[in-house]
Parts: sequence; C-alpha cells; structure tokens
Amino acid sequence: MSEQPLLEITDLRVTFDLEGRRLTAVDGAQFSVARNETAVLAGESGSGKTITALAISRLLPPNAAISSGSIRFNGHDILRMSQEELTGMRGKEIAYIFQEPVSFLNPVFTIGDQIAETIVLHQRVAPQQARRQAAQLLEQVRIPDPQRVLASYPHQLSGGMNQRAFIAMSLACQPRLLVADEPTTSLDVTIEREILDLLMELKKSLGFSLLFITHNLAIARKISDRVIIMFQGKVVDQGATDTVFRCPRHHHTRELIQAYEKIGKL
Amino acid sequence: MKRNPYLKIGLTIIGLLMLITLFAPWLRSADPAQIDAAQLLMPPSSAHPFGTDQLGRDLLTRIIYGARISLSIGFIAMGIAVAVGILLGSLAGFYGRLVDTLIMRCADVMLCFPTFFLILAVVAFLEPSIFNIMAIIGLTSWMGPARLIRGEILSLKEREFIQAERALGASDARIILRHLVPNALGPVLVNATLGISAAILLETGLSFLGLGVQPPVPSWGNILIEAKSTLGVAWWIMIFPGLAILVTILGFNFIAEGLKKIIG
Repeated sequence: MSEQPLLEITDLRVTFDLEGRRLTAVDGAQFSVARNETAVLAGESGSGKTITALAISRLLPPNAAISSGSIRFNGHDILRMSQEELTGMRGKEIAYIFQEPVSFLNPVFTIGDQIAETIVLHQRVAPQQARRQAAQLLEQVRIPDPQRVLASYPHQLSGGMNQRAFIAMSLACQPRLLVADEPTTSLDVTIEREILDLLMELKKSLGFSLLFITHNLAIARKISDRVIIMFQGKVVDQGATDTVFRCPRHHHTRELIQAYEKIGKL
Repeated sequence: MKRNPYLKIGLTIIGLLMLITLFAPWLRSADPAQIDAAQLLMPPSSAHPFGTDQLGRDLLTRIIYGARISLSIGFIAMGIAVAVGILLGSLAGFYGRLVDTLIMRCADVMLCFPTFFLILAVVAFLEPSIFNIMAIIGLTSWMGPARLIRGEILSLKEREFIQAERALGASDARIILRHLVPNALGPVLVNATLGISAAILLETGLSFLGLGVQPPVPSWGNILIEAKSTLGVAWWIMIFPGLAILVTILGFNFIAEGLKKIIG
C-alpha cells in the first residue's frame, strides 16, 4: 500500500514520574495502523500496551509524560495539538472501548442519556434527534430491546449489555480509529465471542480501523491482520499475523506462542 | 420513603409550614403590622389563638408572616452557600495542586472565624436588609459544601467513567458539571438541609440582636426581642415564636436524617 497509514507511531517513549523516580513504561515503540485494518497489540500485563493506547489521544495520567517520539494520526501531529483540538478529536476521530464496561459508564445517568450526550458533544443535533440516533445505535450493536436499555442505568444491565452499549456510544460519531483495550477480558467466553463477532461485523459495515489490545494470543490470531508484540515497554515483534505466528523473530514471541500451544489454545 | 419515618415526619412538618406561609393572606388578616389599641397584650383566645403583643398586633399573623421571611432566608442563603461551595469545591477537587491549596486554605481561614461575629461585623457596615442578610449568611457558609464536594470529587475523578468521558472528547467543564457534580451531590444534599436550619437560626439570632430583619417586617427573631421586655406579663409572645423555630429546625433536621439514610 502506497497511501499513508492512518496512525503512525514513531519511537514513542512514555515515562512515569513516581515521586522523583523515573520509570519508562513505553520504550521506543514504533508501529502503524492502516485504514480499515485490524491490528492487535499483544503482550503480557505490564508490557506497556494500555499506556501506548492511551498515549494515542494523550489520555495519560497526570504523572506520565510522552518524553519523545511522534504520533501522527490522519496527517496530524497529535503531540502538537492544543487542548481544544484534542477534545474535538477524541470520540469523533479516535474512540475507545475499555475492559470493565460497568465502571466506564456514569452510574447516575441512563444509557440513553449517555449515548445522546456523546452525540450532542460532536454533532449539531437537537436532543430529540440524538435520542433517536441513540436508539438506532443500540439496534446496530444488536441489543434486542433498545427502548428498555435506553431507559436503564448501567447497574441494571449485564456486562455484555453494558459493553454493547459502550460500543454504541463509542461508535456514535463514526470514528476512524477504534482503540479496544481488552474489551472482552471481563466477560465470559460466549459473550466474548459475541462481542468479537459484533466488532468485526461493525468494522466491515462502518469501515473503521481497529487497534485491539489483548493478552490473549488466540484472539489475536483469530481477528487480526497484523500483530504487534510488546514486551517490557518495547515492540519486539510485528508483522502480518500469519508471518508472526509462523516464524516469530523475537524469543519472547516464541515463548508466548509455545505457552499457548502447550495448553492447546492456538 | 418506606420505613423512613424521619423523612416522612420532616417532610410533613416543612410541607405544612410552606403551605401555611404560601396561603398566609387567606388564613389571617393580610397585614401583620395592624395595630389594635384595644387589644394590648391579650392572652391566647379564640380571636387571637397566640395572643397579641404590646401594640395589639395578632401574634399568630406575625409568626406566619415571619415564617415567610425566615424560610426564604434559610432557603436562599443555603442556595447561595451550596452554589458557591459546589463551584469552589469542584474546582479545588478537580484541578488539585495550587488551585486546591488556594481555595481550601481560604475555606480554612473562613472556618476559623466564629461565623456569627464575622456576620455581626459585616452587618455593622452594611444596611441590614433582608437581601443583605441572605447574601452574608450564604457567603459565610459555603465551606461545608465546598469541602464535601471536593472530597467526593477527589475520589470520583479517578473513576474509570471519567476517563471514558475524556476519551469520548468531553471538556473539563463538561466533565465537572455533567459527570462529577451530579455524582457528588448526595452528601451535599444532607449538608444543605442541615444548613437551612443553621441559616434560619443565624437569621433569628441576628434579628434578635437588632441587626437582622428590621421591624415592622416581622421575623421570628425580632418578635422575640419584643417578647423580652414583656416577659413577666406576656409569656405567649416568647413561647410561640420559640416553638415555631423549634419545630422548623426539627423538621429540617429530620429531613436531613432521612436523606442520610437513603443516601448512605
């Protein structure tokens, strides 16, 4: 492909300031995500996957800083953006879904209110219109009874339902890139499968790029076009999924794959 | 509501009181300052259930009209205090560091002053109008709500859904107003209800010292000053406004207690 990738991360370094001690969480990460591609960022916990993902729209905690590198998204340099440009971009261009859907939804508002609010945040529509769009979005994520779910609070719904609702909210403004940070880890296996199928299907119909973060190599192999393996803050291996799984270059990738093969999950 | 007798009793008392003050002109004569020289210091009777004062004014009418003043001062002063408290408390909690230090140290300084004497000093410079009293009480009691809101926001802002909102592109103002404050309101509500009764007591105290609501406008405090001079001959002038204050404060405190049970 000759065209520019949608997201291009070069030599990204993220350091934490822990009361004077500096800790490098991401150490020179370098990868890109093409348009309409599914890239999986895989690695064990603590390898810097989530921090890399948060850095993409500068959502790092206050004691973390991007100390070097560049993040280019759709031709824009994210590290040079002003605060207003960032809030305009978040949710509209780059959206996230997270691990624990219930705690990522506001407990005092209904699902409908929250989805409608996200729509109003980025589009000039009347509240009534936003409400209708919210119902359509819930149908799109295969929620069987949208009207009831619209009027429900997060604690009244199951984990799978909440994750669907959250996906609907994240896709409300048709982002170009969806970053999914272990979105199925807290769900049971059957729901996990449903959510993965749903994501793949939505990706096909809506046409966004997906950066999927997981520690689960089985999922990585199943859904991805490309995998990026992180280990101790560094990207140690990346490439087309088949290539990486067939001939891993880094010993850590080999170890991971062997571990999965040993329990017969790959 | 079920199994919450405190809330029920409190709401009944305050609800009744509000209805009475709302329909005051229809319940008693429209003029609480009407003087009747033939009826000075009359004890309670069917014409004057609470008796009359040394100018022959009907005490019940004066207490009902006084309730209007006292309740509106209570509500509005607390409204001001809560508004200021939410604003400053949420800024302090959300931005932390220097903003937090500045705002909270100001609150600490304000808390060090005995409020009543601070208000006395301020009133000495300003005209003691009803509006001024509301503003002064409001502006000297924002520290409680501010501290509560700040504490709630300190823990709420670390919650995941705030991060999610940020990822969806919400601005700071939106996060504070739409997501943090509504989640932090519970404890403030309890505090504000108690604050209303504190504000009413403050107003009564000020009026009793002659620095609050000025006669002839009746307030529970200034009815009590008049009672002081005739205490030996007319017990009713002191007892009835006193009871009105007692019942009202009790009502608000019951509501607060009931709310506390629901919220926490």
